[in-house]
Amino acid sequence: MDDQPSPAPEPQFLDPHDMIERSQPAPRTGWLWYLTACFFLLVLLSTLAGAHSTEMQAGVRFLCGLTMIGLMIGMSVFTWVIAGRQRNEQRSLDAIEELVQLRRWPEAGMMLQNLLSKPTRSAMARVQGLIYLTTALARYHRFGDAIVVQEHLLDNVDLDPGTGYALRLGRAMAMLQEDHLTDADRALSELRRVEGSEGSAGLALIEIYRDVKTGHPAEAIEIFTARESILRRQMGHRVADAWALVAKAYDMVGQEDLARRAYRNATLLAPIAEISRKYAEVASLTGKYPAAVAPGE
Amino acid sequence: MLTSDNAISIFRRELTLGMLLRGLLLAAVLGCLVLNVLPSGKMIDGTLLLVGIGMLWLVLSYRSVKGQRLAAESPLLIAAGHFDEAEQQIEEALRSFSLFRGVKMMSLHHLALLRHAQKQWQDSADLCRTLLKQKFGAIQGITRPSRLLLADALLELGDVRGAYSALASLHQERLSLGEAMNLLLIQLDYESRLGAWESMLPRGMAYKRVQLAELMPASSSARAQAFMALAAQKTGRPAWADWLRSRAELLVDSAEISKERPVLAELWNVKNAGT
Repeated sequence: MDDQPSPAPEPQFLDPHDMIERSQPAPRTGWLWYLTACFFLLVLLSTLAGAHSTEMQAGVRFLCGLTMIGLMIGMSVFTWVIAGRQRNEQRSLDAIEELVQLRRWPEAGMMLQNLLSKPTRSAMARVQGLIYLTTALARYHRFGDAIVVQEHLLDNVDLDPGTGYALRLGRAMAMLQEDHLTDADRALSELRRVEGSEGSAGLALIEIYRDVKTGHPAEAIEIFTARESILRRQMGHRVADAWALVAKAYDMVGQEDLARRAYRNATLLAPIAEISRKYAEVASLTGKYPAAVAPGE
Repeated sequence: MLTSDNAISIFRRELTLGMLLRGLLLAAVLGCLVLNVLPSGKMIDGTLLLVGIGMLWLVLSYRSVKGQRLAAESPLLIAAGHFDEAEQQIEEALRSFSLFRGVKMMSLHHLALLRHAQKQWQDSADLCRTLLKQKFGAIQGITRPSRLLLADALLELGDVRGAYSALASLHQERLSLGEAMNLLLIQLDYESRLGAWESMLPRGMAYKRVQLAELMPASSSARAQAFMALAAQKTGRPAWADWLRSRAELLVDSAEISKERPVLAELWNVKNAGT
């Protein structure tokens, strides 16, 4: 029999529990206090020297002057190094944001793994990093893991209302994707109660998706028709998702002309492969309706 | 409302005051060190004086942070369309005492941003010009958004040559994604005024430009794609023109796009004439 202990399992790529734990900012060491204490010790020494012989006074004062210069240079270097590290962290976050926007997921994932596998320098950077992590996890269809991170943030971090709302939207979408329909319904009810939610394109999109997924195409069409202008204004090219879902809804109720038009609009704005990857329900439309084709270079 | 002239004179006064104060404090620190080292300075304890100056520096830095906080909040207010609140915060940040130049420069940049959002193009251009004459040091990063703001404001004022000067050096710099998107939109506007249709949708590079436009917010994306559609129409590429125009229409109504840039109305005039 093999008595050797089995090695600890390798942490998974973008493991949410591991990253939540490891990214906690380390407590400050308090170097500034040590330096301040040194400073006051020097003041004390210098004053004490004044009470003794004049030769000793001159010597101690000279030494104090030199040490003071050293301390000042040391503090400046220390501040410069700390500020530099914080700037680097901010640069990493900016780069991750751009990679997420550009949908360069493997690179974004690697950078997130690197950022969140060690204590961040500030709590704000950690929160920002974890928010990007939820997006990356959703892209990899790891909706359960995305929910873990979203719930951690919503339960433990004092977020501004806009960020909190966006995270709740992301969580509701992840719940729908995971088929946690009861939880998703509860989450959507909560979101609807928030003031101004009737003007939220994100909420409209999730409701349309829920209705398509649960077999209520008429309701999906009704929401889309009522909120089309909000969806266009707020979502930019992502409005392709809503067009694709409403195409599916029209198809479900047998309104093929409208489904064809909606499908064409969706594929004008985004490649159908990208939309189908997000919403498996839409994949059945491929081949049934003609997609808009981008012209050649 | 703070006029641009008024804001610029406050900005210059505060920069001078801050510089004088920093110079005075530095001279005092050096004086204290000299007092400590020189045997003739034994009448006054230089170390104690240094403690006093350190305390004063800390108090002044703490007061400067207040302005920094005010300056940091205003872009969010501008983005949310709360112009009055933003104006109040920027004025407060400009007038509040600060040891550091960065806070004042950031506040002036935010005021230029606010005037741009309010479509007060001349004020926005004046503020950007004043800002760009300064030495930026640690906040070098705001030169690029300031130049983009200036170029856009000058285009709105019809100063195509001025816009070119503001844009020229940006092509040699490494831009963030947001800056690259802004640059594309302004450049398309600029090139359309020159009638440089071929360079608006360069063959072999068209998709790259279109992909960047896809990442923009709806109104900017629609305008950028409408500009490229017009360029395609002018250069005899009807497939590209149709495709880009249809995409722009799905994002923003054609009437709205043409209202902002009347030159783009040609896209829909040709379409209607064709049907």
